[in-house]
Amino acid sequence: MKGTTKLKLFVVMAMAASIFLVSGPVAAHHGTNLYDMTKTTTLKGAITKFEWGNPHNQIYFDVTDDKGTVSHWNAETEPPAVMSERGWTRKALNPGDQVTVYLNAAKNGATVGILQKVVLADGKELTARGPA
Amino acid sequence: MRSRVSMSLGLLLCLIAFSSGLRAQTAPATSSAKAQTQSGSSKVPDLSGDWSADPKRGGIGQSLSLSDIGGKNRGKETDIPYQPWALAKTMSERTPTGPDARFDDTTDPSMKNCDPQGVPRIYMWPAKTKLVQTPEAVYILYQYGDNFRQVWLNRKHPDDPDPTWWGDSIGWYENGDTLVVDTVGFNDKTWLDQMGHPHTDKLHLTERYKRVDANTLELDMTIDDPGAYTKPWYAHRNFTISKSGQWYQWICTVEENQHFFDNQGAPAVSSPPNK
Repeated sequence: MKGTTKLKLFVVMAMAASIFLVSGPVAAHHGTNLYDMTKTTTLKGAITKFEWGNPHNQIYFDVTDDKGTVSHWNAETEPPAVMSERGWTRKALNPGDQVTVYLNAAKNGATVGILQKVVLADGKELTARGPA
Repeated sequence: MRSRVSMSLGLLLCLIAFSSGLRAQTAPATSSAKAQTQSGSSKVPDLSGDWSADPKRGGIGQSLSLSDIGGKNRGKETDIPYQPWALAKTMSERTPTGPDARFDDTTDPSMKNCDPQGVPRIYMWPAKTKLVQTPEAVYILYQYGDNFRQVWLNRKHPDDPDPTWWGDSIGWYENGDTLVVDTVGFNDKTWLDQMGHPHTDKLHLTERYKRVDANTLELDMTIDDPGAYTKPWYAHRNFTISKSGQWYQWICTVEENQHFFDNQGAPAVSSPPNK
């Protein structure tokens, strides 16, 4: 049983590692040293704005905590030239969409990050890295 | 005005690509007689297609150095034969990528001013390249920045070319499978890669494009710049064919860069946390 658990853990870790290995540059326009690329931050929120443009797409969304406090977040992706190859469009995300966002957040605690993927309310996933 | 010029340029390139593509496809055996004479080759390889940057063989890394593709050991690469001033210049640059990346006060001319990438830096982006072969020239079209180069197959370099962003390129085919591109006449304003490696107007760049199979294009480069390096050094890139048919415009503008920095970069740079 323990062996099975260890194996599962290894598989999950290997999958996580493979995302970084096969993804190539996360952001060619700028470095990732300002972001914690070892940790995934998961956030549930609502889209407020989606900017489809250069040098990077920007996804603005609000996250409300248990106390009702709202945090304004901004996740970036590669630009349309790259994301359109992954099936994204300028209408992929719309204000009001309820989403779960997986990102690598800024190390300094700012509410910005580099997107891994967005999961929409209907379960559809929009990935930003790894195999398309 | 600028958009009108861009549109005209785009139309011109479309026409060139369409008409010459037809000619290249219908009459490859007669193309580039002088170039073939120069190389002794009679076969023109088909390099056409949309080529996507591929992480193999050095691309899309941050550094042109094959010993430091990720740009983590800038200045300590084992394969870059720096002259002292070139090493000092490299280390003085505040790059937007790498372990010491700077968003806020980078010295990167392409990020600050949207200067042309130049070559080989154009190959450091996850963008597409298209080669359009005609009897007189090979046109290399770049998705990033909507730029293009003309590689003349039927003439020599000018004796004293004016320094330009993309230099003066001539080319020929070798071994029936390789396009050799020989470029001089660069200005000294571009970086060789994302890590700030400099060059001078003495740069002589040789590129060898070889289609190794239907889906793969390999590029070997020799960077020979006696103004900045003590001897020639080498770099590689790799491309895979793209069949998506998409060629999304990827333009650099200072305004859009600033907008991105204000909303994403500045908060990440700021200290204390900007919540």
